[in-house]
Amino acid sequence: MGERLDLKFLARYPFLKESQEYVGERVLDLDRFLSSGYGRLILNRGAERVMASIGFKGVLPGEQVGEPERALYSYALARVIVSCIGERDLIERLCRYEAAKATALFLEEGEEGQKFVSSRLGIDLGSREMPVVKYVELASFMRSESWRLVNRAVCRGRVRLEREELIELMREQIRQIIQKQLPLQVNAELCEKIAPMRQEILRVLQEQTLQQFGEVQESSFPPCMRALIDAITSGRNLPHQGRFALTAFLHTIGLSNTEIVEIYRRAPDFDISKTMYQVDHIAGARGTEYTPPSCATMRTYSLCIGKDEFCERVGHPLRYYLRRKKGAKKKRERGSGDLPGDSPAGAADDGEIDEERNRVAETIARHRREDEEKKDEEQQS
Amino acid sequence: MKPATLEFIKQRFTEYYREGHLIAPPSVSEREWGFMYFESQAAAISMHRHMAFSAKRELFDYIRNVVPAHIYYSSAYYAEPAAPTMGEKRWYGADLIFDLDADHIMKGPYHLMLSKVKEETEKLLEMLTEELGFEKRAIRVVFSGGRGYHIHVTDISIRSWGSRERREIVDYVRGIGIEPRTIFSRDAQECAGGWRSRLQDVMEEYLAWLKERSANEALEHLTSIGGIGAAIANDVIKGIEDMIGELHRGDVPLLLRRRGVKTILSEKNPEFRRRLEECSARADEPVTTDTKRLIRMPTSLHGGSGLRVTPLAVRDLPAFDPLIDAVVFGRREVEVEPALTTSTRFLDNDYRVEKGVTERIPEALAVFLCCRGLAEIAGGRSIAAG
Repeated sequence: MGERLDLKFLARYPFLKESQEYVGERVLDLDRFLSSGYGRLILNRGAERVMASIGFKGVLPGEQVGEPERALYSYALARVIVSCIGERDLIERLCRYEAAKATALFLEEGEEGQKFVSSRLGIDLGSREMPVVKYVELASFMRSESWRLVNRAVCRGRVRLEREELIELMREQIRQIIQKQLPLQVNAELCEKIAPMRQEILRVLQEQTLQQFGEVQESSFPPCMRALIDAITSGRNLPHQGRFALTAFLHTIGLSNTEIVEIYRRAPDFDISKTMYQVDHIAGARGTEYTPPSCATMRTYSLCIGKDEFCERVGHPLRYYLRRKKGAKKKRERGSGDLPGDSPAGAADDGEIDEERNRVAETIARHRREDEEKKDEEQQS
Repeated sequence: MKPATLEFIKQRFTEYYREGHLIAPPSVSEREWGFMYFESQAAAISMHRHMAFSAKRELFDYIRNVVPAHIYYSSAYYAEPAAPTMGEKRWYGADLIFDLDADHIMKGPYHLMLSKVKEETEKLLEMLTEELGFEKRAIRVVFSGGRGYHIHVTDISIRSWGSRERREIVDYVRGIGIEPRTIFSRDAQECAGGWRSRLQDVMEEYLAWLKERSANEALEHLTSIGGIGAAIANDVIKGIEDMIGELHRGDVPLLLRRRGVKTILSEKNPEFRRRLEECSARADEPVTTDTKRLIRMPTSLHGGSGLRVTPLAVRDLPAFDPLIDAVVFGRREVEVEPALTTSTRFLDNDYRVEKGVTERIPEALAVFLCCRGLAEIAGGRSIAAG
C-alpha cells in the first residue's frame, strides 16, 4: 500500500491521518507560512475552497484536485478559515462539500485505492451490510425515510445495504470525521491574517442563506413566536426557555445575531452584553448545535401560545413558518389576497421541501416525523 | 397519610436498607442522584437532585441514614455530577434506557397490567438481542417497582450517543415511521424477519378482517380514513380477494401500488395502526431519547408500592412474578384500615379488603396497600391532609 500513498493519493483524501501528518510535518509554523508569498497564494486557495462549499448544491461534475501539495495545504487552510470565522453553518457547508468531493474522487479510484480508503473508514463495500451501531451513527443524519432503521432489513445486529447505499454512508462518515475536528483552536493573531477575507465570505454566505430561505417574513411567524416577541415588546420577563426558543428560531430562519439583538432591544430591561452573550451562545458561536424546540417541547414549557388551525398541521414552529410563507407566496402569485398566508394553501406540498439540500430542510425532515407522531397521538387520544 | 402509617412504612424501609440488600450501579461517582423523601410527600412532591457520591459506601450510608421514599440516579455519566446545571456537569455519555409502563399500554387490575407489560418487555428484549444484536450481558432488565420494567443497555459503544441516534433505536422497536413501500421495495436477502415479517402479518390480519366486514361496514371504515374517498374505497372492497392473493404470493410491491392502499396500510388508518402497535414494543419514547434522565435505582424500594426495584438477568424474566419476587417484607400480621375496597393478587393469594373494615393482613401486603394510599395502619390518629 506504501506505493499508493503518494502525494496525489493523499491530496484526494486530505482528511486521512496520513494526509494530515504530511501537512503537519511540513508546515511547522503556520504564522510564518502565511507570511510567505506561497502561503498567501495557498490561503487564497483555501478561501476558494470555502467559497465553493457555500455555493455547493450536491453535484460535483469532473472534480479536479489540482497540484497535490497545494490541494493538501489549501484543505488545511480552509479549515483554519472557517474556524476563525466560527459560523456553524459555514463549517457544516465545508464538511458536506469536502465529503462529497472525496466521495466523488473515491468512485474513480482504482480497486486498491478504494480498498485502502474504505478500510480506513471501517466500511466493507463488498459485504453489503453494516453493524447496527455503526449504521445508526451514520444513517441517523440522513434525511430520507428510507434510511430509518425501522425501514431496513436488520438481522442479528447487521443492516443489509446495497453498494450505493454503503457509499452514501461512507460519504456521511467522511463528513462526520471532518466535522468532529472543527472548529480548530486557532490563535487570534493567525485569525487576523484571515480577517480581510472574512467579510467577503460572510457576505456570500448571507446571500446564499437568503436565497434558500428568502426574506424574513414576520407575518408568517407562528403564533408562539409572535407571542414571545409581543411579550418582549410589552416588557414582560421571558423565561429562559422562551428566550432560547425565540433566538434559535430567528437564527435558523436567517436573522443575523445583530438583528436578533435588535428584537430584544425592544425590552425595557434590555442589557446589551448579556443579550449578545446569550444570542451568540444559542446561535452556535460556541460550537454547540441548537435548533429551535418542536411544538411538543413548546407545549411542555407552556410556550405553545395562540395555537391556530395551521398549528394542527405541523409539529414544529419552523415548519409552520415555511408552510405559511410558501402559502403566502402562492397567494401573491395568484394575484389575490391582501391577507397573505391566511389559508392553509401550502399544506399539501410536503414533497417539495425534500428538494432543498440544506440544513433547515434536514431539520425539518426530522420534524415531519414528529408531525406524524403528533397526528398519531391526536388520533389515539 | 396518618403519622402512624408513615412511621410504619418508614420503619419497614429502614429495616430493608439496614439489612444490606443494596447493589450500586456501575460508576457510582459519575452519576447524578435524586431523592424523594417521605417527609416532603405530603407537601408538593419535590425531587432533590444534583447530588453526588464519591463511592458506593457513601451512597449506602446516606440511604440508610435518610431512608428516602424514592431513589434515582442519572442514566448519564458526568465529570461533575453534583454541578447545578447541565452545562457544568459535563455530560460524557449515558446508558441506553427503555421504559415500559403499563399505563401506556392498558388499563385494568394491577396484576393483569403487570403481566401485559411483561410480555411487552419480552418482545422488546427479543428485538434488542435477536434483531439489533445487543449482547445479553450488556442488558439489564429491571422491574420498576411500579407498573412496569426498565431496560438498561450499558454497551460502551453506544454510550456517547445523542438523542438522534437513540431515537433511531426507539423508533425501531416502536415501529414509528414505518414505510411499507420502502421495506418491500428490497429483496428479502436472507433477512426477511423483523419488521418485514411483522408488517406482512399485520397486512394479512387486517385484510382478512376487512374481508369479513359487510360492504357497508367496509365502506364506512375505509372512508373514515383521511384521504380515502368512496371511489377508492369501492375499488379496494372489490379488489380485496386479489389483494390477499398478491400478499400470499409475496407480491407486496404490486399490492402497495394499488390506489389508496399506501394510505390504508399505514399509520393513518387507526385500525391498521392498532395492529401494528400490537406487534411493536411500546417503550415510552421520551425516556429513551432523553440522555439526562433520572432512573430508579435497582435494589431500592419504590415508595409508591413498597416493592423492590428488582434487577433481573434477561434469562430470569420469564419466571419472574413481581407480586411474589419483588415483595421483600414478611407475613407477620398487621392491622389496617382500608381506605377503599380493594381486591389484590399478592404473594400468590387473592386478598380482598373492605373500605373501613379493620383487618389483620400480612405486613408485606400492608406496606403495599399503605404505600399506594389504599389503607392506613389501624388505630393511629388522623391528621388533616395538607
